[in-house]
Parts: sequence; structure tokens; C-alpha cells
Amino acid sequence: MSLLLGGFATALQPANLGFILVGTIVGVFAGAMPGLSSTVGLALVLPLTFALDPQPALLMMVSLYMAAQYGGSITAIAIGVPGSSPALATTFDGYPMSRGGEAGRALGISLFASVTGGLLGAVLLMVALGPLARAALSFGPAESFGLGVLGLSIVANLVGRDPLKGMVSALLGLLFFTVGLDVLSGSPRLTFGTTTLMDGIGLVPMLIGFFAIAEAFAALARDPKEDRTGAIEGRLPRPGELLALWPAILRGSAIGGAIGAIPGAGATIASIVAWNEEKRASKTPERFGSGAPEGIAAPEAANNACVGAAMIPLLALGIPGSASAAVLLGGLTVQGVRPGPLLLAEQAPLVYALYAGFFIAVLFMAGVGLLGIPVWTRVVRLPPAVLMPMVVGISLVGTFALRGNAFDAWAALFFGALGFAMLRRGFPLVPAVLGLILGPMIETNYRRALTLSSGSHMTFVESPICMLLLVLAVASFAAPTLRARLTRARKTSP
Amino acid sequence: MSRVRADVSRWGAIAAAFLLIACEAPDPGADGASYPSRPIEIVSWASPGGPTDVLSRSLARVGSPYFGDQRINVVNRQGGAGAATMQYLSGRAGDPHVLAVFTASGAVNMATGRIPFGPGDVTPLLRVQMDPFLIAVVDESPFRSLDEFFAEARSRPGELSIAGFGAASAHFLGFSRLTALAGDPDIRWIAYPGSSDAAVAALGGHTDAVHSNYNTIREHIRAGSMRVLGVALPLDALPETRTYAEQGYDVAPVHWRGVVGPPGLSAEHVSDIRGRLEALIGDPAFDEYMSEAAMEYAVMEGAPVFADWLASEVAESRSELERLGLLDSSR
Repeated sequence: MSLLLGGFATALQPANLGFILVGTIVGVFAGAMPGLSSTVGLALVLPLTFALDPQPALLMMVSLYMAAQYGGSITAIAIGVPGSSPALATTFDGYPMSRGGEAGRALGISLFASVTGGLLGAVLLMVALGPLARAALSFGPAESFGLGVLGLSIVANLVGRDPLKGMVSALLGLLFFTVGLDVLSGSPRLTFGTTTLMDGIGLVPMLIGFFAIAEAFAALARDPKEDRTGAIEGRLPRPGELLALWPAILRGSAIGGAIGAIPGAGATIASIVAWNEEKRASKTPERFGSGAPEGIAAPEAANNACVGAAMIPLLALGIPGSASAAVLLGGLTVQGVRPGPLLLAEQAPLVYALYAGFFIAVLFMAGVGLLGIPVWTRVVRLPPAVLMPMVVGISLVGTFALRGNAFDAWAALFFGALGFAMLRRGFPLVPAVLGLILGPMIETNYRRALTLSSGSHMTFVESPICMLLLVLAVASFAAPTLRARLTRARKTSP
Repeated sequence: MSRVRADVSRWGAIAAAFLLIACEAPDPGADGASYPSRPIEIVSWASPGGPTDVLSRSLARVGSPYFGDQRINVVNRQGGAGAATMQYLSGRAGDPHVLAVFTASGAVNMATGRIPFGPGDVTPLLRVQMDPFLIAVVDESPFRSLDEFFAEARSRPGELSIAGFGAASAHFLGFSRLTALAGDPDIRWIAYPGSSDAAVAALGGHTDAVHSNYNTIREHIRAGSMRVLGVALPLDALPETRTYAEQGYDVAPVHWRGVVGPPGLSAEHVSDIRGRLEALIGDPAFDEYMSEAAMEYAVMEGAPVFADWLASEVAESRSELERLGLLDSSR
């Protein structure tokens, strides 16, 4: 306890508070800007941290990482473009709610869920560092394969009216992921002899193409009158409404905390799984996808809870659980801080300052977020025909900046055209994105598991965790069909 | 009045932007007399935060006084397994203001033919550091030495596994050079996209061992949760651990990193830049980074020696890949 108080004393020093504030503002911005992400934001401030002491450097990076998770939801809600990939699931209900004229409400729910999820993630980090790190290690190739399949099964809940078109879209995403160097053999696949395709198709160009560019085309093609969604209100959600979302936030945080601690899974998968579980838990699942408040709260709680959880393998094992944590590890290494089994024993003051920093960073995120909501709701009032071209311009710059590679900007334009064509013909876009995200996780872990088991598929059955995940996947895949059957049966029977 | 001032500042900004663009235009050759006449760029294909990126940034942080107080900027040009960086270097042929950090992985990518570039597409300047490979197991593992590990692998062919970075990678070749001396026991190489992912697999008991570098697993060695069966070269940090050679396997595969320039640098520029880099890595601040990162200096006598060695390294990797049947003969 005295260690934690000492941690607060460190983190509350004015200079450290200043760095947390800077980290929070940069984080919200990096998260909200399509093309940037917490990883890119961290990479941008990394050189600055070299000149700092370990504590302010760590506090700034952690607050940036945290704030970026909320930042992603701003663009997801305001314009339907996930500012970074963990906010993908937030577009499902956040964007419809904001189009329905309640941008302020949607942002308020997202902020409240992000703050609560972030706090719960930090508590989890504090109380369960050792045990959760050990549990995360038990996640081998078979278990990761199961988690990937569970993620992909969610496609069934996203396909809309025509399941076949949803499946085609998912398969298209899976096809795109096969492009590039195969991790397990090192040989290039579908690169057509070029080196540009060797790193595969990036997620960021696809997100920007599908959600910013295709949507911009669609907005320009629409009759402007359709976009008048009535009076747009910046009204924040009522406290009572937020309190009623507790179950969704708790479930989302638990899912984020569990998945976030597994190296290689990450906030995007956690938030999608959280959205899906929330829909499954709901008595009125049909509201999901058209502005259900739980559909915003659960994924946003999950992606913020992931931040604390991703620190678990990082601090306890020295193993980054996500791309952002990897950059953080690089920063710590330069500072001479070596995360690993001995960190807590040898550098307790630093670790406790980090814990304290988490709590303060979450509070700063709440403040910065609240101040921002009136601004963002005003952005929503811009007509799409004006707003979207701006979004496209900013996004393309962001994509280019990501790797200094013009190919990514071209890829974003390609996905813009493809996405527009798919939307026109009634193909949903999200299944393709899921295919691209989860394909590598499923394929490489499937092959790794089979290599380890000498080709025996029993390895997936013998692992109880994998079995459980696969059963959940089957249930999640079959649920919409079964529900539809049941409703029909009830209607026909007198 | 304020309107006018706003306009003026706007035009000023536009003029400044044009000026910037004009300055950014590459201008090789025109600056022979007063090198360096512009900021230095260090191009790196590595993602931020990794050991190669940290090396680039440490060079940039310490280096300015050694390059006429010019700013040194690190530019991450990721993409195409290093091809984006190589492409950029070819476009700046002969320009002494562009440097790049080159690694053993780059050499292997040249050897596999994954990237359409060869050792002639860079001008090797200074090999800076090396990071010896090692083989480690978790504390509960029954193996205490390389001999024990290989003997078990021979008695149960195809059943032992080792996690490591990449397929047909510098790491994999380092491992196969070692196992070749043990009679090529059938050990399954489980490829992971990052060194720490591979360490996770071993720590979780999913593989029998991990092929790694000291830095990746140092905290687990210190904590006693992992132990090293053998290391390619003696490390101060591992005084107790026997090297591959000490255990009868006369091979020392390392991951190395160095600085190269674009192709076509003049001999004067090569010796000038090399001199500056040698002074840079002798700086106490750089030395502090090296010991903090537990890296060994690996400077070779003169830039041409590094160049010859790089060419032989690529050729050697090629023949090793050929021996393993991993070379696509069409490329």
C-alpha cells in the first residue's frame, strides 16, 4: 500500500502530470485520426522519451496508449470511420446512433465505458500480474487458433439480410490476407513477383478505403436530402442511463482483460468479441447494429481494459502483448528498464508509479474527452459531401505517413473503389475486415499446432481451452440462423 | 490591417513550403567540398522500438557532432522485407547524406532472392555490432547441454521442436549451421513473426527450446526461469555458459548490424564517412547504449573488408539454403 502511495506521489509531480497530459492529448489525436494508431503515436513520441527520465517517459507513453483507445471511437462514432482498428466494433452501433442525431450520447457512452474499462484493466494489472501472466503463457498455437475461429464466427452476426453475401465478403478478406510472405515457410504468396506486396495487404489501407473512401463515394452518390437526420444533438447521456450499462461494461472489461493479456491477440479482437457477446447476452439482440447503447459500451470497455492487460505479459515476462506494447518495450529498454520476472522486485517504485499513472491517465482521458465532445458533435453536423472528402484527404496522408510508402495510399484507394462497389451490391464490408484481421491468426496457429502435433488434429480437441472456444464459435455461428428459425416457428404455431 | 498581415503570412508560408520542397530535392555530387552540407538521413526498414531501430536512433542521437553538427534523422522505410529501403538507397546512388542500417536479415533476404537486390546494391561502411545466437530452454527442461538436446533429438526424430524467428531467416540459418555439425537431427523449427513470440512459445511449454538472442530472454535467464544450453560466442553477461565451439560445434552464427551507404559512393566518401562513424561509436554515450543493450562491438578492419565479408555472407547463406533445399531455383 505504501508502495502505491509512493507511486501516486511520483506520478502526481507537476512535471509528470504535464507528460501525462501531453500523452493523453497526443493519444486521443493519434487514435481519432484514421491512419494513425496508438502504435504510430507511440513511435512518434519514442525519440522524445530518450531525453526523459524513465518515470515521465513511461507515464507519457502509457497515457498515450490508453487515450488512443478512446480516441479511435471518436471518428468511429462521428463519421463511421474507425480511427484505429480497435474501434472497428464501435462503428456497428456508435455510427447509427450518431446518424440518428445522438452523437453526444454515443460519445458520452463511449467515454464512460472507456474510462471504466481502463480503470478495471489497471486494477486487473495490479492485482493479478503474476497469475494472469502465467495463464497467458498457456495460450499456445491450438488455443490461439480457437480464439481466431471464435472471432471469425462473429461474421454470422454481421452479415445482415443476405448471409451468402456476408460469407463472400468474409472469404474476400481471407483471400487478401494470404497475400505476402508466408510466416511459416518464408515464401512469397500471390505477390506477382513484386516486392511491394511482400508485406501483405495492410489493415489500415483497408479500413480507410472501406470506411472513409467508399463511404465518401456513397455520400456523394446519395441525394443530400437523405443525409438530413433531423436535429443533431450534442446532449450527453443521462447518469441513470450510464449506470444501467454496468453489465455491458463489466462484461466488456472482463473480455478485454482476458484477451488483452494473451500475446498476439489484441484489442481489435477483444472489442469485436465483446460486441458479439453483448449481442448474444441481450434479450433484444435485434437492436444491435442500429444504435444499441450496450453495443458501444461493451467494445469500448474492452479495448481500454486491454491496455492494462497488455501490460501484464510486458511487465511480468518482458513480452509485448501487442504492437503498441512492443514500441513501449523499446522505449523502456532504451531507458535501461528491463521488464521481466524480476522487474517488480527490483524496480518496485517505477512499477507502482506506472500503476498510479494508469489511474491518473484515465482521469485525464475523461477530462480531455469531455472537453472534446462538443467539438466532435459539431463535426457531425457538416454535410457528408463536405466532410467525407476532407476525411479522405487526411486519411490518405495518414496512410502514407504510416510507413512512408505510397503503395499503401494506392491500396486505400483500391479498397475505396472495391468497398463502394460492394456496398452498391449489398455486400457488407465488416466481414472482409474480420477475414483480413483474423486470417493470419487462424492460419499460422493452425499450421503451427499441426507441426507440433505431427499432423494430428486431436491437438485441438485435447486442449480444453481450444475446445471451449471452438464450441463457442459454433454456437455464435449458428445462433442467428437458429433464432430466425425459432421466431418463424413461434409465428407459425398458433 | 490584420487581414493584410494574415495574407502576408499566408504567402510567406507558401513561399516557405516551396523553399522546403526545393531544399528536399536530392542533389548528389554537388557537395563534394564541404561534406556534410545537409542533414544526414539514416534509413531503416525496422519497425520502431526493435533492436535495429534502437541502433539507428542511438547513432542519430549521438552522431551529430561527428557529422559537422548536421541534424541526423532516422527514416523508417518499412516494406517488402527491406526492399523499400533498398529501393530508396538505389534512388540516392552516390549521395553521401543517406546512410542505412543493414543487418544479417538483409543479407539472408538477398540470399533467398526474396528481394531483387544483392551486396552490390549497398556500399558497406562499418559493421557495428553483433548479437550472438543462443539456444535456451525453460528451467524445468531436462536438457543441460547441446549434446543432451541433440542426442534426445536423434533418438526421437521429428519430435523435439524449437521456436525461433522467421522461416528461412538469419535465425533459422544460424540454427541449421549448428545442427549441421550435429548430423542434422530432425528438430522441428516453429517459426514466429517476432523473437519475443518465439520466447513465449518456449516459456509456455509449447516447444522444447527457443533459438534467440541474449537480449530477448535476458530477464528470464536472470530470474532463473530459462537457461542457456549454448551460445555462439562468449558473452560477458553469460560467464558460465559454454559456447557452441566449447561444446564441440565449431560454428559461431550471429545476428550482426552495421551501417551502409547507397551504391556508388566514391572512395573518398567511404573513408571519410567510415572515419566519422568509427569516432561516433567510440563516443561514451554510444558505448553506454551498447553495454546497456548487451551488444558486442563487431568492427571489421576497413570498409572493403566489411564489403568482402558481406558478399561472402550472402554467398554462404545461399549455399546453406541450397543444401537445405530451400532455394527456389527459379529465382
